[in-house]
Amino acid sequence: MTTSVAPRSDARSGAGRNPGGADGSPSAPARRARKGTDVRTRVEIAVLAGPATIMFVGFVILPVALAAYYGFYKWQGYGVPTDFVGLQNYAIIFTDPDFRGVLLHNAFIVIGSLLVQGPIAIVLALLLNQRIRGRGLIRVLIFLPYVISEVIVGTGWSLMLQSSGAVNDLLQAVGLGALRADWLSNPDIAIWTLLAIISWKYIGFAVILFLAGLQSIPEELFEAAQLDGASYWQIQRRITLPLLGPTVRIWAFLSIIGSLQLFDLVYIIWGQYIAATAGTSTMATYMVANGRMSGNYGYGNAVAVVIFLISLAVALVYQRFVLRRDTAGALTEKADR
Amino acid sequence: MTRKIRAAAAIALIGATALVAAGCSAGSDAAGGDGGKVTMTFWHNSTTGPGKAFWEKTVKDFEAKNPDVTIKIQAIQNEDLDGKLQTALNSGSAPDVFLQRGGGKMAAMVNAGQLMDISDSIGSTAKDEISAGAFGGYKQDGKTWAMPVDVNPEGIWYSQDLFKKAGIEGTPTTIDELNADIQKLKDAGIQPVAVGAKDAWPAAHWYYNFALRACSESTLTKTAKDLKFTNPCWTQAGKDTKAFFDTKPFNDGYLTTAAQQGAGSSAGLVANHKAAMELMGAWDPGVISSLTPDGKPLPDLGFFPFPEVSGGKGEPGSMMGAVDGFSCSAKAPKKACTDFLNYMTQKPVQEAYYTAFNAIPANKSAQAVVTEPYLKTVLAAYNKAPFVSNYLDTVYGQNVGNALNTSVVNLLAGKGSVDDIVKTVNQAAAKG
Repeated sequence: MTTSVAPRSDARSGAGRNPGGADGSPSAPARRARKGTDVRTRVEIAVLAGPATIMFVGFVILPVALAAYYGFYKWQGYGVPTDFVGLQNYAIIFTDPDFRGVLLHNAFIVIGSLLVQGPIAIVLALLLNQRIRGRGLIRVLIFLPYVISEVIVGTGWSLMLQSSGAVNDLLQAVGLGALRADWLSNPDIAIWTLLAIISWKYIGFAVILFLAGLQSIPEELFEAAQLDGASYWQIQRRITLPLLGPTVRIWAFLSIIGSLQLFDLVYIIWGQYIAATAGTSTMATYMVANGRMSGNYGYGNAVAVVIFLISLAVALVYQRFVLRRDTAGALTEKADR
Repeated sequence: MTRKIRAAAAIALIGATALVAAGCSAGSDAAGGDGGKVTMTFWHNSTTGPGKAFWEKTVKDFEAKNPDVTIKIQAIQNEDLDGKLQTALNSGSAPDVFLQRGGGKMAAMVNAGQLMDISDSIGSTAKDEISAGAFGGYKQDGKTWAMPVDVNPEGIWYSQDLFKKAGIEGTPTTIDELNADIQKLKDAGIQPVAVGAKDAWPAAHWYYNFALRACSESTLTKTAKDLKFTNPCWTQAGKDTKAFFDTKPFNDGYLTTAAQQGAGSSAGLVANHKAAMELMGAWDPGVISSLTPDGKPLPDLGFFPFPEVSGGKGEPGSMMGAVDGFSCSAKAPKKACTDFLNYMTQKPVQEAYYTAFNAIPANKSAQAVVTEPYLKTVLAAYNKAPFVSNYLDTVYGQNVGNALNTSVVNLLAGKGSVDDIVKTVNQAAAKG
């Protein structure tokens, strides 16, 4: 992004030297040529950026605005909303004990995902960066769950984890019958089960990211360290991990956003109604249960706005404080430019 | 820069194409007025087995008799139907003919002007052969909004073999007898009762039936109007439900058990002799037979009405029960759509309906073909019942109904108290 800005600023300063060309005195052919490029650049920008802009405004900005509008109404979804209630929907959201539960579940998933997936993925990535036999196969196997669709993962695990399912039968068969449990339906265990399934599914993504990050660390650094007599663990701690930092921070960002938006796995495994009872409901399942399933579209839109604001706040804080040095110059203004 | 934008544009284009393609799949092509060629969309909830085949054949036969009418069938899984239907109605792309559950859900559609008034289009067969009671659930403001096709009184479906194995004689008529039988089943190592709590309503139906025993008919009707659960009988019903739940009668992992999908569902457990009974409407034999290992009706299936509870205000013999029927969308072509509804009530179609779904047809002359002893038990109890109430989640509408269902599930999972049921319901009313 930083390099690609250059040609555009040139074009701009070219136009700025001769604003509009209306009162300018350059010779006719030169002017025509410049105007030609100017128009062509504009047309090109319009043609190329237009569709994306329209999509972005139409499918991101406009729905957010509409949700904010509907959130001020009691509305069953039929016709135009008429029953304006101001902030009442928001007042109900923040006093609803179910919504507080939902926030706790989301926070648990956000933190749990980081703490479980991060360390394991780093260890796996370091391991798979070595030349070991069957490395390609292990990489594929670790990445496989990430490729499988959420619906299939959810259906598969929910069948295996049923009280009379394969997991309990397996525990019984290997003599660990005491560990049999209602993995999905016991409210004390369910969210841990969910965390385990999420970790199983998404850890491959973290490993692949970290592997790519490891590949980009120059070999010379390792060689130099080895020449200086650093042990394997010293190299990992002093060189690999610090240089892997940007990758880890980006992964953590993606993981946090994904955890905040978690919906499909919960919806598939616990269905439309009982996620709150099992203690696995998320902000998104709350929105669907209390908005769409109950036919309270005004209320559902208010919930959507709250989710949007929470996600936005988390994303901005993270960008501002954690990703700042990684994205300097790209997403933030660089002072020296 | 240019390359990046191009890539973005390409992605946007792909996205746009996908969205357009997705957008096209829904929506009705109801075009022509009466007389010309007409295409209608038809939503029902029979996604498997003979039920699905029945609707395909019925539509084909109807199209053969009405060459100008084409009907596009869309079978939607029962649990997904209400949500999808609501979305379709909201977005103005409603199907022309769709399953109608009645109650508060229908009232919302009527009030929004989404349904066709079929009062003056009801054919002579439907008028003569379908009882006024069956039509009653589809009446609002003096008009009829849907055509009933079957009656679904509710009770307990059980496996006679498993009852015999546990040494149970006859069927329980009081809740104490039921509890004693459950204990016998447990002693015999049989899971007594299957319940698909994942779908919420199957668990809530236990509460409905306890409410039917505790509350009088007038209380139930009054609550449907003001949605205030203040009468003490509601708390009594909650206490009765909790007392029953506390005996731990249900299958393992009931909370994540679905009602109708697959062998692990509550109907599947009964179909495969993994559980002895379940509380369900009269559509259950059809669902169970589609889940038996050989896909045939369960030979030892039996039925008994919900046991009596002493001391309640509900009249003994009262039943929970719904009528299944179909509505026309307000935008549907009137003649073709009402013709199709009337065609569903013809005797041969209704007899085929009974064969396909193993359920009681609404047409009384077609009821004569019912041979299964369990359906005869259902019919006998139904014809004797002094009061038949529709399911409470339907009566009280989607918003309060859903909250009621989930609060009963909470009670079942030990996460809420009896008082929470009333509290949750009031809270839901505030959201709507």
